[in-house]
Amino acid sequence: MCIGRLNSLARFQANRWSQGIVLAALLCAGSLPASEVPKAEPESDINWAKEQQFWSFRAPAAQPLPAVKNKSWVRQPLDQFILARLEEKKLAPSAEADKRTLIRRIAYDLTGLPPTPEEVKAFLADHRADAYEQLVERLLASPRFGERLASVWLPLVRYAEDQAHQVGTDTKYFYPNAYRYREWVIDAFNRDLPYHQFIRLQLAADKIADASENDLAALGFIGLGPKYYSRGKLEVKADEWEDRVDTVTRSLLGLTVACARCHDHKFEPVTMHDYYALAGVFASTDMVNKTPGGAVEKEVAADKLPVTALHIVQDGAVTNLNIFIRGNVDRKGPEVEKRFLRILSNGEPKPFTDGSGRLELAEAIASETNPLTSRVIVNRLWGVFFGRPLVETPSNFGHSGLLPSHPQLLDDLAVRFVKNGWSIKTLAREMALSATYRQTSRVEARKAAADVENDLLGRMNRRRLSVEQWRDAVLYVAGDLEPEGGKSLELDDPQNHRRTVYARVSRLKLNDLLMQFDYPDANVHAEKRATTTTAMQKLFLLNSPFVIGEAKALAARLAEESSDSARVRRAYEWLFAREPDRTELKVALEFLRKPGAPEMSRWEQYAQMLLASNEMLYVD
Amino acid sequence: MWTDSPFTGLAGDVPLTRRQMLQRMSAGFGMLGLAGLLGPQAAGASTDDTRAPHLAPRAKRVIFLFLNGGPSHVDTFDPKPALKQYEGQQPTGELYKKSKGTGFMPSPLKFSKHGRSGIDVSESLPNLARVIDDCCIIRSMKTDVPNHEPALLQMHTGNVQPIRPAIGSWLLYGLGSENQNLPGYVVLRPSPKIVVGPALWSNSFLPAEFQATSVITSDMQVDKLLANIRNPNLTQEQQREQLDLLGKLNRLHLDRRNGDSELDGQIKAMETAFHMQRQAMQTFDISREPESVRAMYGDTTFARSCLLARRLVEDGVRFVTVYYTSDKNNQPWDTHSNHDESHLKLCADGDKAAAALIADLKARGMLEDTLVIFGGEFGRTPYAENREKAKAGRDHHHTAFSTLLAGGGVKGGTVYGASDELGMHAVENPVHVHDLHATILYLLGIDHERLTYRYAGRDFRLTDVHGRVVKDIMV
Repeated sequence: MCIGRLNSLARFQANRWSQGIVLAALLCAGSLPASEVPKAEPESDINWAKEQQFWSFRAPAAQPLPAVKNKSWVRQPLDQFILARLEEKKLAPSAEADKRTLIRRIAYDLTGLPPTPEEVKAFLADHRADAYEQLVERLLASPRFGERLASVWLPLVRYAEDQAHQVGTDTKYFYPNAYRYREWVIDAFNRDLPYHQFIRLQLAADKIADASENDLAALGFIGLGPKYYSRGKLEVKADEWEDRVDTVTRSLLGLTVACARCHDHKFEPVTMHDYYALAGVFASTDMVNKTPGGAVEKEVAADKLPVTALHIVQDGAVTNLNIFIRGNVDRKGPEVEKRFLRILSNGEPKPFTDGSGRLELAEAIASETNPLTSRVIVNRLWGVFFGRPLVETPSNFGHSGLLPSHPQLLDDLAVRFVKNGWSIKTLAREMALSATYRQTSRVEARKAAADVENDLLGRMNRRRLSVEQWRDAVLYVAGDLEPEGGKSLELDDPQNHRRTVYARVSRLKLNDLLMQFDYPDANVHAEKRATTTTAMQKLFLLNSPFVIGEAKALAARLAEESSDSARVRRAYEWLFAREPDRTELKVALEFLRKPGAPEMSRWEQYAQMLLASNEMLYVD
Repeated sequence: MWTDSPFTGLAGDVPLTRRQMLQRMSAGFGMLGLAGLLGPQAAGASTDDTRAPHLAPRAKRVIFLFLNGGPSHVDTFDPKPALKQYEGQQPTGELYKKSKGTGFMPSPLKFSKHGRSGIDVSESLPNLARVIDDCCIIRSMKTDVPNHEPALLQMHTGNVQPIRPAIGSWLLYGLGSENQNLPGYVVLRPSPKIVVGPALWSNSFLPAEFQATSVITSDMQVDKLLANIRNPNLTQEQQREQLDLLGKLNRLHLDRRNGDSELDGQIKAMETAFHMQRQAMQTFDISREPESVRAMYGDTTFARSCLLARRLVEDGVRFVTVYYTSDKNNQPWDTHSNHDESHLKLCADGDKAAAALIADLKARGMLEDTLVIFGGEFGRTPYAENREKAKAGRDHHHTAFSTLLAGGGVKGGTVYGASDELGMHAVENPVHVHDLHATILYLLGIDHERLTYRYAGRDFRLTDVHGRVVKDIMV
């Protein structure tokens, strides 16, 4: 970790609102009673011109490719930025990973699944110069690509199918057809829907003339949001608006706007005025269950809802909000017109005039001139491929977030992303094909000493699989994975052999497997996933019916091979895309020679340990 | 080009430690890893100051006996003889919707003074009355909302919406666990049915290692209590052999990867899990208790859960919540009708088990550093609610209620705060839920203003911007 990447608050001391920040910090820390806090300074005191010079609020600029010595190493523009920084520190990139490592790595990244032994064999036998490029193209075209990226996207928008509160057995706020949104997202990634369109449709498909009937499902972004207990009450409505503002601004803009609900933001140039101008959009928006004919269904129990009903939004009674002083709904301040954030606007933002203002909000976010939108998604995708995003606070690009490790690179990628028609696949392709990505993850002592946390990417990062990747891979190698999607199944259902992305996600009770393996709480936007290592996770590997069942399935599948050593080889090909070495083979055969237990054969026991192994959980 | 680059000049001038970095990074804490479940080693190895207590701790662990639905304060610990005088009169004040009942309703229960401290306790709690000298009664509790959901959430997480970590997760994050072979935060509930549900013990944005292990206690057989605690097909010996194989494979894998410490952590966690099976099979097994001890607690699911709670804290679990619910009723203390009769029945069970727990902890020398809390999300109205007059109930009441604390550095034989003469409002030394949280943290050696987690651009606290430590109740 590079210390210089932190946006220190010290930077603020010279800033005009440093005093306000200190006061707000004291207030938030509870050190000052509210009565002693001076009134918020008028927002015009923010030096907007100066704030707009902060790195993330300036438009990203195309960067000249930095000079490098080792030009032959460069495969993609991004490589030149990475290499320049390495050379600055007198470091060289690592060698390219071997083909087996590469195919396993890229298959997990682009499809969330390991390659089959046949795919590995074909890749090894393909000696064309562009064999890897061909492989990447094939994986990008796979329908599994959309499923993989949906797994990344859905927790950002706190996708779930129910509510954290259930009064009695009431299911009227549940979302039995939530999967229609998920399907739309998967399809959007698969057909490479331009990202700005992806945003526009999710926020305002109902207000876009050329949107298709099918695109209405995209409105689940807001339509599947949390509904809180006693949601008719003003203070509860205010909590719900906060969820919408928080989810939209952190997931799409990398800005923590919801902090400004009770006071002007402590750290960012975001005022209460900004917050309530955005909250007004959601105060003017209703969450409805709507059938294709456009009929709004009454709020009924989930099982009474037509299967065609989508959980989406529409404009409601259009209103402006008053600022609630200190967030208290009983203390009304001035009314503010709905509009976009001041810091991201050219001068004073124009009020929204089209109903709720959702379309205007969508346009403002998905605009080429928005300095954050492209940077934020480019950064998230970087995190998917390299294990760590360039900005390590991917939902916070403000003063209180961290600085990018490679600012010029981030800018250049963002600019070219927009120029390339906001194409996610084009962006993914550049990362996948880069020399940076193709490096081995092996650690060299000298380089490790010079760059402990691998900030400069002089090697690839070894990465832990997500719970989705891991579970899918277990089912896949055991021959059990079913490709269907559609309506969600419970993960606990022993018959559920579908990909994890198709499982039901609950706000009320997150499935134990998901919860134990770091799937985030679906009640709020998830900036990124923690990776924890706990004994409870290991108990699942040792004793759960799922792992034992799949171990048995794997053993049965391997039984087709002619000998124990052939079976061990086949297992290694499936699970690890490689052959076992002599020691591994010897260890295996020794174990397999002994008698099994009545209910679990030796082979089944062995298969279970392969599934529970570290190699199964990590990609190099 | 980056001309006046905001990136330059920063690297050297802000000397931050790794700890500070992590504190400022949301979700960055995962890197420290393992603290909750892997216990004292991991905790000791970390230099982060949220691991070491801020203050000298008085308590090391907590058992929260939670009376779901809200027990009546005027029938337990807060005698209000004036209710007799005002019987039948309607309460006034904008906070209360017009009573559908018959106005103020005195408790039919007799209160008398107990122990050397001479604290008034209702006759429905004869066993707690006997240990009252070890207890502190707060008679001036209050919470924000008189509805179960928000009040339950507030009592558990400090916030009325289901978007914050529970106090148990906060404590685990702050202190780590005392036993690497057991989960650090355990939730015991007789039935899966419980109002609000898992949001009450959510780790929310805190990493998964600080999450609760939830246990349904209707069947006390250990492998029914804990998922995946025993292999259905293999003996421990057979599994040991299996793990030896895995250990070899993992180490071969590790050796080719320069001893990557994260991979090493996985290997250690696997060994911990193996030992946890044996430890849990012992710790969670209340049949190992002598008959006399089991009889002392009583033979109900709540009582058995209290006994299990004692075994858990004895073996190093940091925070245990025992919920008082049943399959028939997901919040039994919510006595809207037939209050007098139900209240007595509930007390008979709850009183015996809670008093047995306090006495048992004391006999084992554990009460002084184990904090026991006995209470619900709010109290009940001093006036009647109902329907048929003969079976009057009491409604939710959030502006005054009572909570019992025992042990863990709390001064026994004390009463703190007071409600008005009718038990309507906390009038003397009011203790809001945030204050209770701040006080619990303080007893465990944590300054509630310094236990923070950076998330979504803000430093979050259990007590938000509130909380007053009630030092007067401490030893």
